[in-house]
Amino acid sequence: MEFYQRLQLDKSIIQDFNPYYCQIESGLDDPIIINGKRFINLASNNYLGLANDSRVKEAIIKSVEKYGASLCGTPIATGYIDLFKRVEEKITQFIGLEDAIILPSGYQANNGLFNAIVGKEDMMIIDHFAHSSLLQGIKIVGCKIRPFLHNNLEHLKNILEKSAGFRQIFVVTESVFSTEGSIAPFKEIVDLCEQYGALPVIDDSHGIGVIGKNGRGILEEKNINNYQGLYTASLGKALANAGGVIAGKKIIIDYLRYSCSHLIYSTAIVPGILAGIEKVLDIINSDFQIISHQMWRYYKAIREVLINAGFNLVSSNAPINSIIAGSSKDTILLSKKFYEHNILTTPFIAPSVPQNAGKVRLIAGANLKEETINVVLKVIKEIA
Amino acid sequence: MNLEERIMEIVSENTEKEQTLDLTNSLSELGVDSLDILMVINAIEDEFNITIDDGDFKDIKTIGDILNILRKKYF
Repeated sequence: MEFYQRLQLDKSIIQDFNPYYCQIESGLDDPIIINGKRFINLASNNYLGLANDSRVKEAIIKSVEKYGASLCGTPIATGYIDLFKRVEEKITQFIGLEDAIILPSGYQANNGLFNAIVGKEDMMIIDHFAHSSLLQGIKIVGCKIRPFLHNNLEHLKNILEKSAGFRQIFVVTESVFSTEGSIAPFKEIVDLCEQYGALPVIDDSHGIGVIGKNGRGILEEKNINNYQGLYTASLGKALANAGGVIAGKKIIIDYLRYSCSHLIYSTAIVPGILAGIEKVLDIINSDFQIISHQMWRYYKAIREVLINAGFNLVSSNAPINSIIAGSSKDTILLSKKFYEHNILTTPFIAPSVPQNAGKVRLIAGANLKEETINVVLKVIKEIA
Repeated sequence: MNLEERIMEIVSENTEKEQTLDLTNSLSELGVDSLDILMVINAIEDEFNITIDDGDFKDIKTIGDILNILRKKYF
């Protein structure tokens, strides 16, 4: 049937080795288990290593005992429990804004935000390397979209100067660009927005819990006070759970509570996840310095050995080591080499990255043991 | 420089493609993504001082398609 033929997937590139939908048979321990074998996990966004922390698991179990598996309703109906409200308040305070809502995923947060607040009369200026969820959310709206060169303030300024006649201009970017680890010059972007009357929107998915003196993300990292723009983040990366947050001024968050269809029409995020987020925030508030020190130490050790071994790395300001691997075939091959040494990595090929700009990403969570990192360093030297 | 050469130059500059381009080049084979196309549209607007409806370019497959749409609707 033509319909099915049209949708048939070309699997040629992953015929020999398929790194995607890898079936993990354990939690994010050190090691993780794949096909009954022990693997070192450098593929998850578990930066602080809290996904399998005993304190987090205990909090989740307690919440399930109290509230059960699900409230079987959307937040606007029966899904909004006291724990939901408490976590909204805690995350609002953590980020340092006026109010926040929590959606079932970071993708939904980005999609839902633009659907609810942007119209055809508006204009979106977006970083060329911004995440697919931001772009997809914007595209649905059908407004004018103008990409600016990655982290290029001059180009952004140039576009802002030429953009007139729109109801509202938004400037959309990410804090930490996850395929490479670059960080947006967000203070300068906020200043440009102020100068030209535009509204900044930041996706802090790889920044929250990772950057900033106390792990509070991009606003803390860049000393941005009294932020007037919008903020989104995934809660499934350093915050080690699931869900997505939209935060900002109270007036807009109140509006979204009653107009963001991705929130209103999705079953509320379940109690276990809310309790997990709450506990992770508590741990970050008390132990961030110790945990992040470990995360950065592992990152630096791996980076140094990668460079000495001759790997070509993307310049990074975040704890992400991204090896430039070239074509999709070469990228999958490099990931396979790691896999053959029982190390799980994340290969990025087109369309996630531009054609022939494939990358293999390594993120070492703070939960990994010292001897595990030593094995990683040895393997890097071997496969170079 | 004629219109064809100017468009080719804009595509090359805004998609960072170093190889020699021609009108039949498939954009997907060149690795040009949807944001690259928007960069090209942006640059064309600046170059010719026109306003383009992004939707006109949603089905383009080759560099020649860009030129055809521009000639048909904007020049």
